[in-house]
Amino acid sequence: MTDRIEGVKKLFTSKSARVETNRGDAHYEKLFQSCLARVEELKSQTPINKRLDISDVLETQGVNRRDFMKWASAVTGMLMLPASFTPLVADAALLMNRAPVIWLELSDCAGNSEALLRSDGPKIDEIVLDIISLEFHETLQAASGHQAEKQLEDAIHTFKDKYLLFVEGAIPMGMNGQFGTIGASGETMYDHLMRVAKHSAAIVAVGSCATFGGVPAASPNPTGAVGVMDVIKGKPLINIPACPANPANMVGVIIHYILTGQVPELDSLLRPKFAFGYRIHDNCERRAHFDAGEYVEEWGDEGAKNNFCLYKVGCKGPMTFNNCSIVRYNEGVNWPVGVGRGCIGCSEPDFWDKYAYERPMADANIKAPTGGVEKTVDEFGLGLLTAAGIGIGIHAAASIVAGKKEDRGEA
Amino acid sequence: MITKQLINQIEGEATISFDIKDGVVDFATIAFPHFRGIESILKRKDALDALVITPRVCGICGHAHLMATVRAIEDAYKNAGYRVELSKKVEIIREFTLVMEIIQNHFKWIYLTIIPEISKLIKPNQKQTPLKGAYAASIASKAIAIFAGQWPHSSYMIPGGITTDPTNVDILKVESYVDELINFFEKESIGISLETFLSFKSNKNFGGLKSDISFLENNLMNLNMDKKGFAHDRFLVLGKHTFSKPLKIEQTYPTSSDVKYVNITEAYSLNQVSYAKNAQYGDIFYEAGPLSRTISNNLPIVKNIYRRSKDSAYTRVMSRIFELATLLQHAKNLLSKIDISQKSYTQCMDISKITAKGIGVVEAPRGPLLHLTDIKDGVIQEYKIVTPTQFNIGSSTKENPTPVQQAMRGTTKEEALFIFRTFDVCSVCTTH
Repeated sequence: MTDRIEGVKKLFTSKSARVETNRGDAHYEKLFQSCLARVEELKSQTPINKRLDISDVLETQGVNRRDFMKWASAVTGMLMLPASFTPLVADAALLMNRAPVIWLELSDCAGNSEALLRSDGPKIDEIVLDIISLEFHETLQAASGHQAEKQLEDAIHTFKDKYLLFVEGAIPMGMNGQFGTIGASGETMYDHLMRVAKHSAAIVAVGSCATFGGVPAASPNPTGAVGVMDVIKGKPLINIPACPANPANMVGVIIHYILTGQVPELDSLLRPKFAFGYRIHDNCERRAHFDAGEYVEEWGDEGAKNNFCLYKVGCKGPMTFNNCSIVRYNEGVNWPVGVGRGCIGCSEPDFWDKYAYERPMADANIKAPTGGVEKTVDEFGLGLLTAAGIGIGIHAAASIVAGKKEDRGEA
Repeated sequence: MITKQLINQIEGEATISFDIKDGVVDFATIAFPHFRGIESILKRKDALDALVITPRVCGICGHAHLMATVRAIEDAYKNAGYRVELSKKVEIIREFTLVMEIIQNHFKWIYLTIIPEISKLIKPNQKQTPLKGAYAASIASKAIAIFAGQWPHSSYMIPGGITTDPTNVDILKVESYVDELINFFEKESIGISLETFLSFKSNKNFGGLKSDISFLENNLMNLNMDKKGFAHDRFLVLGKHTFSKPLKIEQTYPTSSDVKYVNITEAYSLNQVSYAKNAQYGDIFYEAGPLSRTISNNLPIVKNIYRRSKDSAYTRVMSRIFELATLLQHAKNLLSKIDISQKSYTQCMDISKITAKGIGVVEAPRGPLLHLTDIKDGVIQEYKIVTPTQFNIGSSTKENPTPVQQAMRGTTKEEALFIFRTFDVCSVCTTH
């Protein structure tokens, strides 16, 4: 019991899990000026990518200015900036082709670039992703073979220390990296990544494979797959986990980088807080049923027909940090919980072994995100059920304490 | 002379090693250098965990993997003596989402693979419109998401049913997406109505048309692709669906096919590291996928093209486009048959009581997909996955070539690279 209370306290008060949505006028005024200066500077630069002009593309795709501004204000909100930043965010989107991006695909299912870059994004997000100056992408670009390798070399050389490196897929370290070789030279994925990462400005690991190893790293991890943060040290690194990663969050990171020239605020797992600062559970459309103790007891029952809470059929929403309950998937059309399929915790480390249980959680040995020993949910889950209820109270109290700390300049 | 060609812009990577004699391909081997070990990951995991793991084999046909897993587990239930009853509604919705996945794959293949590839063979360079493929695919995936929650990587199918319980409003939304797709196909891809397109009697009907598909058709003809890219003239369909039946066809003679004759053999690739294996029926290589499906369905236009051009690259490409057209119409029919008052799920025996083997067979976008599982007390002892690319794009010896090896023979290297793409390769599935 003490263990649990301490655990819950840790969950709600640890600095890495705290989301600061209001930093005061002085802070935002200063930030606005620095962003404005940066945007003006970028405007004066010539676009790297002359292939596409976003205004033209938006027009041909039938997106009018009004829709575009609506989108910009949504992104501003997502990045937890005040509404006054909206025109700056819109400008930043139009300046996408000033930021060179190199995209590497390692050991994965191609789900992130195949499905997201090409088809899964909200319409404008998708266009914006097309606009980014994608200097190199193995799956999408026109050139292949030796020509492609030369393009990569050129991109690294031309944009030395300036390019954002997006990485999709895990790095197989087993058998000296022979489970994944790239290009005609047969370079291992590890060597390939290290070579391209060396002169990047920052690295963005996209999807659960690149962040934590993903499904390839599932027990017994046959290929010794690891995430980017396990092998890259001394570089700014942003993790955007989830399987697949949400394009809205990818766009958010790029816009933030263009706007501020910096990586967004990250949690202890290097995930941007604007996207991973909340639990799925906290913003879930079925939360009211949880609070009322109304559960789907088994698939297809009356509870299922009435969209009750999925906790008892294995939903991992209470222990998963991500914004899919807000932004959803496929242009906001739906998300797994919307079709009665509980969350599998795909943005959490080890979800493939720990959280992916189809079976009701009561039978599963899991470790809570608060740490501690593995328990069955009969022991732990019941505790959490009540804890989540009182959690709001604790959270509110913790925020007040935290606010005071910030006033003393400790944050 | 042996030259090595790297193929990317596919899901994952492949290399082809060409042996060129007198300017044409004498023989070629194919290697897939990436490996994740999904089969060994599934071992000793709870059988139902496979529902979450296997869709992640592939970012483009994960839905087919999910359905194969569900079918394999349901087959194990049956073999253990427990009947799994599926309502008509469940069968239709599962089928619908699978069909939509095939549709999004074919749209992407048209606009992101085959039109750009054929443009490399003709001068001057054609302006590319990859966003069209992305747009159509996003509409299809939205239709899937209404039933499945998200695409890719959904796990909404479960043994005994589906988790979703759609309302009439949901069905209406899906219908409007399908209509949007059909409109797009008519306006952007074919330039005529779907009905007219499906009533084509022969490829002469393309005369005078100006659209993306007629551009493709004309250039295939100009490049003599109706006289190149012949495989073995043997076709195999294994999945049982509303749009396919298990058949094998040899010399236009169809007989029923059975998955138990599928045979996995080691690949042969010279001086290349490859993690792929070949799939045969008995000890013979058959071509699988849209061409086999449309021929086994006796689709008149494809039969007509096949009579003239056999299993050439031209026939292979056109069959896929006509399959896309028929599936768009089929998707609409399926929707009209959903009775929402039926059950979404029928309770199954606790999985921990199940000790049995199970096989799940599905027609994925590129051909038959097999999942073979051996379950003991609800825990996976063995899991095998056989994918469409293993049937079509295996790598065997010169004496016993796979369909793609046969099809590339005797053409120039540039033509061979195009013919290779007509099979629609997926590297991540192949090695899994």
